[in-house]
Amino acid sequence: MRVYATVMVAGLLALVGVLFGFWWAPFLVGLAVGAVLPRARAAIPTAGAIGLLSWLVPLAATHARYGLGPTATSLAAIMGFDHAAAVPVFLTLLVGALLGLAGGWLGSAGRAVVASNARVDATRNG
Amino acid sequence: MRTSAPPSRRRRARLPFLNLGAAILVSAAVLYVAFFPAAGLPALGAAFNPTTGAWTMAADAQVTDRTMRLSGLQQPVKVVLEQDGTAHITAQTDRDLFLAMGYVHARFRLFQMDLMRRQGAGRLSEIVGKAALDTDRFELELGLLETAQAEWNQLQPGDPSREDLLAYSQGVNDRIDEAIATHQLDAMFTLLGYQPKHWTPIDSLLVKGDMTQTLNFTDTPLVMALLNKQLGADLTSEWFPILPPNVQAPYDPGPYSKPSLSPIGQLPAPQSTMNGDAAQPLYDRLAALPQGLVATGGASNNWAVAPAKSASGGALLAGDPHLHLTLPAIWFQLTMDAPGYHAAGVSIPGTPVVLIGHNEHIAWSLTDAQNQQTFFYVEKEDAAHPGMYFWNSTWTPYKTVSFDIPVLGEATQHVKVRWSVHGPVISERGQTTSVWWGGNIPSQDLSVLLNIDRASNWQEFRDALRGWFSPTHNFVFADDKGNIGLISAGYFPQTRKGQPWLPMPGTGEYDVAGTIPYDDIPQVYDPPAGYIWSANQRQVTKDYPYYIGTASNFFDPGYRADEIRRVLSQPGKLSAADMQALQTDTRDFLASEIVPALLQTLSKSKLSTKESAAMRLLAGWDYRMDVGSSAATVWSVFWSTYLDETFRPWWKSRAVHVDMGEVVDALGQDLETWTLHDAGNRAFSAPGVGSRTAADAQTAAFHKAISAISKRLGNDPSKWSWGRVHTRELENLAQVSGLSYGPRADRGDANTPLAAGDFPSTHGPSWRMVVDWGTHTFQGVYPGGQSENPASSWYTNRVDTWWDGLLKPMLSGDEAQSATGIKTWSLNP
Repeated sequence: MRVYATVMVAGLLALVGVLFGFWWAPFLVGLAVGAVLPRARAAIPTAGAIGLLSWLVPLAATHARYGLGPTATSLAAIMGFDHAAAVPVFLTLLVGALLGLAGGWLGSAGRAVVASNARVDATRNG
Repeated sequence: MRTSAPPSRRRRARLPFLNLGAAILVSAAVLYVAFFPAAGLPALGAAFNPTTGAWTMAADAQVTDRTMRLSGLQQPVKVVLEQDGTAHITAQTDRDLFLAMGYVHARFRLFQMDLMRRQGAGRLSEIVGKAALDTDRFELELGLLETAQAEWNQLQPGDPSREDLLAYSQGVNDRIDEAIATHQLDAMFTLLGYQPKHWTPIDSLLVKGDMTQTLNFTDTPLVMALLNKQLGADLTSEWFPILPPNVQAPYDPGPYSKPSLSPIGQLPAPQSTMNGDAAQPLYDRLAALPQGLVATGGASNNWAVAPAKSASGGALLAGDPHLHLTLPAIWFQLTMDAPGYHAAGVSIPGTPVVLIGHNEHIAWSLTDAQNQQTFFYVEKEDAAHPGMYFWNSTWTPYKTVSFDIPVLGEATQHVKVRWSVHGPVISERGQTTSVWWGGNIPSQDLSVLLNIDRASNWQEFRDALRGWFSPTHNFVFADDKGNIGLISAGYFPQTRKGQPWLPMPGTGEYDVAGTIPYDDIPQVYDPPAGYIWSANQRQVTKDYPYYIGTASNFFDPGYRADEIRRVLSQPGKLSAADMQALQTDTRDFLASEIVPALLQTLSKSKLSTKESAAMRLLAGWDYRMDVGSSAATVWSVFWSTYLDETFRPWWKSRAVHVDMGEVVDALGQDLETWTLHDAGNRAFSAPGVGSRTAADAQTAAFHKAISAISKRLGNDPSKWSWGRVHTRELENLAQVSGLSYGPRADRGDANTPLAAGDFPSTHGPSWRMVVDWGTHTFQGVYPGGQSENPASSWYTNRVDTWWDGLLKPMLSGDEAQSATGIKTWSLNP
């Protein structure tokens, strides 16, 4: 239960950060998630999902309010993908997810190093 | 005794560190591409995040009713935006009007404005990298920045223009601050990864300088020098004469006064005979510059009709300036209402003035006058006087100005520009060459235009234009009292002696000595014929006592002017609808002259079945370059082949390195004249082709043309429609092809009033306006839309109307308030 609460709070923090213009918030939140959750196999995908959702939700809100079709088409044209509107959408969500994933991995890896050192110390002392 | 751990345990102990190292590397890579541009991509996080990245263009595309505070306003201002985006600004003070105008321009065109000021200031490399370095270096050498600074320094505190420019800048900056604070900057800023600096009055003057350069900085003297050397002086003087060989339609037939000179302004001091070898590198350098930096011939129309020939009983005026057609367009449509101003029309974003339009009493439009305002001087130097040039019998030191050009991703470049009395040195390869350019003389053109916006009759209009220097324009006028006028306002520089169409020695004897007095420049007012017209043609007859430029590459060949005069001179009354139809007239006047002669030649020639069918198409043709016309295709390909057939052998045999396309207008006038009046001209008998006449060349060209068309379009002449080969494109200003419009099949060619040269055509009527003072109706349209945001419905919403040749009513501010679908902005102090 505590884990779910932690993930929910983390997700909210990332979302609020992005909404306030701190688009890199998913990386920091992912870092924290990776550091707090004990299992890397769960922490990293969770951080990635948080990154994805914290960029997806504002994008979806913009779509609901203004419509993203012409914007996505224009961005695709600027990027040289003719009018393939899906490309910028995919790229956007990919960047959000990558920020979360990278943060989660880094946090988790840091946690593993700390845990490893602790085990070594315990072995030496024991 | 210490024992070491087994290898497998050591590996396991190292794993967390390896994992951490990999995580650090991957995180660094992700963060790098998120925060910094890499591999040609923008900073992905900054550019694509959903709240402050390029996606904000979705919200920016929506225009809603708003109430907002604007810093610097004195009184509330109301802005009404029509359903199509036309802005109507109503202010209680003139200062507030210009402040609001700056805000509105920047709200819809900030990126375009930033690009234009960067072009003039030589700062494009800062945002796009070294690809723009040559452009920046050239612009700084040419001196637009120097001129803009000098113009600003001329404006004393309290000068109304100075106050207007300051207010306008404040409005632009209000929008910049707002856009940054609300993450509403145009997406191009986000994608290029920079924020616009605050706007200054000098930026507005730079934008004006850009337009001056586009319209009248020419390389024609260099072309003539090369032709002299390569083609030979004999043919050059014969084929590229000062006066046009063909019959044209000057709007000012005289009589003319005896020649005299008026003083001309001084260049902003920073502050030959050229041999062909020296001309080549400079010519090559200018030829390599992007489109728009060197004027390559104009194409605009305007005319007016007096009440005596008007169906409504009031004066009629029509104008369609032809420019590079871009998205966003060069124009922004608005009305300005304040105690001192009641004007409507189009403005150039970045400048606080209606450039073409009408007020309560007068209407005006303009075309480029095309006279020579660019003169090249070869400076005399020697090794004993380093850093000096010989002028007026004295060794004179050059003045030097230094600039830094920041380059994205590269080291800052340093540029030193030397100035002689003639102007900036723009070539040091071969011979040191400086350029005297009219656009470098500081002038208060914005003050002139503001006075035009307020003028109420011809006298005030003409008096205002007395201060207009460059580029020289044909300003057409019509007022609510039924008067019409046309005046080619601006400098017509005169040299002391020499051949100004060639680079001249810079030793002083050939300097620009003055300009044609204002009362002697081409002009007409209420002429007896009841109509006036200009289409970049030479304005005066051969009797005009001044040199104003040669037939080659300065003035238009005159076919559009001929066609316009032909229509206006028809018996009967003319209406606004007739004006509209003439603006989209596709009748090729040159074709109407040449095709009958060609048919006569072909009637005596042996033709294949296909060629006979093509000939029949021409015989039944009305000379209109319409999309569905196959005869139009036959004519167009024939004419270009005929030119090639006549002149290409000369180019080849004399090893001419000037692009024939650059002088094709002049050659066309020659060919027209010889075809009609001098069929035995020696030009038809080029080395290697034997003795020929015009008819021989026509027949050969016709065979080749039909063969070429067949290869491209098939063997059925009825399917050779013009629209299959001739298209038009509105190019995205940032050169993003996916955001351009077209290419799409379109009518017209370079000779038709609906100008559409080239394949695809990217130039043409950038704004069409028709005014009928009899019915007090004002109509206009430009291709594009008010917004530069491609996600906005106002990006291309006017294109179809324009393409169909239709016009939209130009509502007054009061009329707009009761129009449907408007949005209102209340701007408060």
